[in-house]
Parts: sequence; C-alpha cells; structure tokens
Amino acid sequence: MSEPPVLISARGVARQFGPRTALAPVDLELRGGETVALLGPNGAGKSTLLSLLARASRPTAGHVEWGPGVRVGWVPQRAAHYARLTARENLVLFARLEGESDADQAATRLLSALELPDDERASGDLSVGNRQRLNVALGLLGRPDALLLDEPTASLDPWQRRRLWETVGSMREGGGAVLFSTQHPEELGDLADRVLVLRGGALVFAGAPAEYALLDSDRIFA
Amino acid sequence: MSRVLLLLRKDLLVLRRSPVLLGVLVAYPLLIALLVGLVASYGSAKPRVALVDEDGLPEVLEVGGQRFRVNRTIERVSREVDLVRLSKEEAERQLESGEVVASVTVPRGFVSDLRGMVRSPRLILETTRGGLAPRVTQQVQALVYSLNRELQDAYIEANLEYIDLLLDGGVGTFLGRRFDVLGLRGTRRVLEGLPAGPKLDAIREFVRAAELALAQTDDALRATANPIELEQAPERGRSWVLSAQVQAYALGLTVTFLALVLAAGALAAERDENVLGRLSRGLVGLGEVVGAKVALAATVAVVLGLALALAFGLAIEVGDVAGGEPWSRLPLLAVGLALTGASVGALGALLGALAGEARTASLVALLVVLPIVFLGLVPREVVPVAGVISDGLPFAHAVRFFGAALYDVSPWGSVGVEAAWLLGLAALFGGLARVGMRRLVA
Repeated sequence: MSEPPVLISARGVARQFGPRTALAPVDLELRGGETVALLGPNGAGKSTLLSLLARASRPTAGHVEWGPGVRVGWVPQRAAHYARLTARENLVLFARLEGESDADQAATRLLSALELPDDERASGDLSVGNRQRLNVALGLLGRPDALLLDEPTASLDPWQRRRLWETVGSMREGGGAVLFSTQHPEELGDLADRVLVLRGGALVFAGAPAEYALLDSDRIFA
Repeated sequence: MSRVLLLLRKDLLVLRRSPVLLGVLVAYPLLIALLVGLVASYGSAKPRVALVDEDGLPEVLEVGGQRFRVNRTIERVSREVDLVRLSKEEAERQLESGEVVASVTVPRGFVSDLRGMVRSPRLILETTRGGLAPRVTQQVQALVYSLNRELQDAYIEANLEYIDLLLDGGVGTFLGRRFDVLGLRGTRRVLEGLPAGPKLDAIREFVRAAELALAQTDDALRATANPIELEQAPERGRSWVLSAQVQAYALGLTVTFLALVLAAGALAAERDENVLGRLSRGLVGLGEVVGAKVALAATVAVVLGLALALAFGLAIEVGDVAGGEPWSRLPLLAVGLALTGASVGALGALLGALAGEARTASLVALLVVLPIVFLGLVPREVVPVAGVISDGLPFAHAVRFFGAALYDVSPWGSVGVEAAWLLGLAALFGGLARVGMRRLVA
C-alpha cells in the first residue's frame, strides 16, 4: 500500500520579528488522511508556524511547499471576517474570492454544516461561539485538501467542540489532512495521529500520542 | 466579477450599513466649507478704528460755502470701517490691547486749515502690527479719499460760484469779507454804452472771449478734478456663493476629505478585522486591496460630487444666473471627480497602510486633510513654498480641474494638465501604499 501524498512540506522554515525569534527552523510534512496536533504554551510559535504553512505570512528563512493542486484551508486563532456583513455574506464573498463555482450554494452548505444562523444579523453581533464557527466555515471554503486550525475550540462549549471535530473528522475520512493547535492536551483523545510540541519557538517533540503521554507535560507548559 | 470589484462591493455595503459614519463624512466637509466661507467673509468685515478728535470737530462745518454735517459725512464715507470716537488716552490703550486695529487722530488746527483752503489739513493714522494693518491702512486711505472727494466737490462748487460771480457779477464773500463785483456781462453792458474806437473794441473783444472761456470752465474744472471717473454699473453676474471658485473649492474640499478618510479607514479596517492574512494567501493581491480602496474613494467622490454639482446647478437655474456650463460639463466633471477620488484615495490608502489600524488611520487622515486643503488655498504668489508643496498633493489640481471643467470656455488644456497630475499622484501614492501594506501582512 503506497504512502499517502505529502500535501504540505516545510523545510527549515523560520520566522524572525526584528531581534525576536518567533520560530526557529522547523521541518514538517503533512500527509493526506492524517491529523496532527500542535501543542505548546502561549508564545511557543504555534500560530506563527500555522500562518507560515497557510502562506498567510512569509518565512524569514526556509520555504513552504504545497503539493501540486493542493488546496489549503486556514482558520486563524482570532476570527477573520467582516463584522458588518452577515454570516452568509461573508461566506459568499470569500467563496467567490476562493473561486467556488457556486458561491451561494457553498455558503448554504457551510451554514448548514456548522449550524450557523442564516439571518440579517451582522456577524459582529453573533455570539463568540458562532463567530468562531463562522471562522471555521470560512476555512472550509474551496473544499481544502488540508486544513490548518489555530486553537479552533478555544471559545466553544463542549457540545460545539464535539460538533466541530465531527465536521473536521468527515474531511479526514475524505482523504484530507488536518493540523490543529491547542493548549489542551486532553483534547487529543483519539483525534490525533501525530503530536508536535513547540516551546520557545523550537520544535521539542514529534511523535505518536502514546509517546507524548509519557512526557512530563508540566515541564513543557511550565 | 473581478476581485477588486468584489472588495469594492463589500466596502460599499459596509458603508451603507454605517449611516451615522456616512452622515458625518458628508456633513463634516460641508461644515468645514461653511466655516471657511465665514472666515473668508470675516476678511471683508469692518475693522474697529478709533477716531480721536483733538480739534473739536463742530457738528456743522462750512467749507467753501458748503455746509457739512460732520457725523453724517463721516458715517457716509466710513462704510468699510467701524469708526468709534475715543479720547486720545483710551484710543492708545485700545490700540495697544488690540481692541481697535487703528486710530485716526484729527489734530488741533485741522478745521481752521480746512476752512482756510490754503494749507492741506492732516489726519494722523496709527495701526497695530500684524496681518490686518495693510488692510486697515487701505481702508483708512479709502476713507480719506472719500472725504477728499466730498471736500473737492465743495471746493469746486465754491470756485464755480466765484466764476459765476466773475461772469454775472453780484455780491461775493472771501475770507469773511463782502465785496461787489461788476462781472463780465455787466462790463459788456457798460462798454456798449461807450463810443466806438479801436481801443474800446479791443476791450470789448477781450470781454467777449473771457465770457466764452469762463462759460466752459464749469465742466472743465470738474473734469480736471476727476480725469478718470469710475462709474459703477448695477450689480450683475453670480453672487459669491454661486461663483465658479466657490463651487470648485466646495467640490475639492468635500471630495478630498471624504476620499482621504474613507480610504485610510477602509484599508486599515482590513487589518483590524484580521482578514488581511486570509486575503493575502493568494485570494487577493496587495495591489488589488489598494486598488479596491482607490476605487471606493473614486466611486464615493463621483456620487457625492455629482450630487453637489447638481445642487449648485439647480440653484443657478432657479436663480436664473447667467454664465457657466452647469449641465453640459457634468460628464467632464465626473471624470475629474473620479480622478480626484482615486488620487486622494491612494494617499488615504498610504496613510492607512502606515497607520496600521482604523482608528489611528482615521485620526491621521483627519489631521492631514486640513493642511492639504489650506496649502491649496494659499496663493502661490504670496507663499511660493506652499505652491510647490501643494503641487505634490491632489487638492489644488482638483480645484483647478473643477474650475476649468465647469466654467472655462476652452477647458481642455487645463483639464489635460491637471488630469495628468492627478493620475501621476494616484500612481505614486498607490505604489507607496502597496509597499506599505507589506508591513501589515508580514
């Protein structure tokens, strides 16, 4: 049986902000069908790595490659949508920018899948949980092969978390890859196939969840 | 639909959903234009000038046989200044404190000099330092000129009375002394009763020639007093409010303000809403984001500018005012509005990119817009540096474009030059804004 294709590959990718190193050089591959958890305390470099992999920012060293024809969805930690537009209007606008053939249909599909309100309310007036789900829905536009999620469950209640992972899980079953960051190791459950741990901008662990469970996580998050 | 148009449509939708913002953006520049107009009209308001009467001007003054009611005469000739009678000490105090901008003193001996008609009486003018002094000096000079005109008329009338006396004879007075005069006509009648002879004929001929010459003196004397007389025709043409200049400035000011603040705020808002990262992942280029803001500014400039021009046009039609091309030039005006909106919008986008977040960008745009406008208002002849700086900013070019488009008989030369300037500035500021945006998505 052949190995799943590499969807995203990072070679020595690093990011400096002036004298500060946000991310030391990191090598990483994300393959189809796998779910990778990215763990680490605040300021560890998780968001920086995800935005570099999503090509939302540029590395100061190394490079990021996407496989041929691979589409990558990105869900930043802070909601990224127009607060004066409704959830549907945001989805239709970004669907058109993503080149979706039927933007209205794509918006309807995601509104339903993420159980988002389809009314006249501006998205800025939605609850925190709904805004976060809209953020995830925007990341799913364009039917991505790989989805990068930056602490997607931070503002969701347990039920909403479960619904989110079900939605993401269905994508994985379709051969897609998921890389998500979290500060909550207990979220790993049976979601992740691999675990990466960042600390102080450097990759300090890469392995299976079972191996991670043997680590002293207090030392990592201290 | 292109990506720039998609973002433009989104921005217009957001703007439509912010009626308070839109209202303030429209009302504020109109308010500023009104205030500028008020300040400009203050420039022609009456300055307060002290009148110090050291000679005790009488209520009625007789000069050359003409009687002047002094207060009424001063009132009539001092329409351009607010003349207030003060003592010497009070006038000096108010001049020092700036309560009056000038002081005109009537020194002792003024009335006797005036009545004597031998030596010119003098008035003494003192002004404060500063910007108003030249204007006040001009106005006091105008006041003295008007007084001189009235006195001159009185002197001429007095002289003409003497000439009439020489012609017709009668009783006259000079320096308070009465005297009888035979007059040329009386002389002729006396000569007619004398026997003819060559010597008497020569005297008769002289009297006849002198009679004819003095009969022409009336008009000649008046003409000598006023070699060139300015006749003021009844007022016609547009009032100041409807003048071409005011329309061009009102359009320029409104469009500059709106386009600058909108473009700066809209570009910085993309970062505030955290969508720049999402957009810059290949969905929309940085140049396209700048292009969308420039298009937003141009669209709003055209819509609002045309609405203002229509309002002016209607006022002109209703007022039945002659001159100008209020309707046929609207398409050309629309081009100017679009170019101005684009040029100012590009500058706004640059400010937005540099400021980084919407509140700072809007504040910076507000702070920057007034100097831009006032630099364009300062006459190049007065402060050449202001003219040079203003050439590098869109406002002055916009005003010249609007003025030419609306009222020049042959506008194409001016319009072409100003359009090239506006396009060049739009390209320059747009390019710089694109470079500045790299910092925002880094």
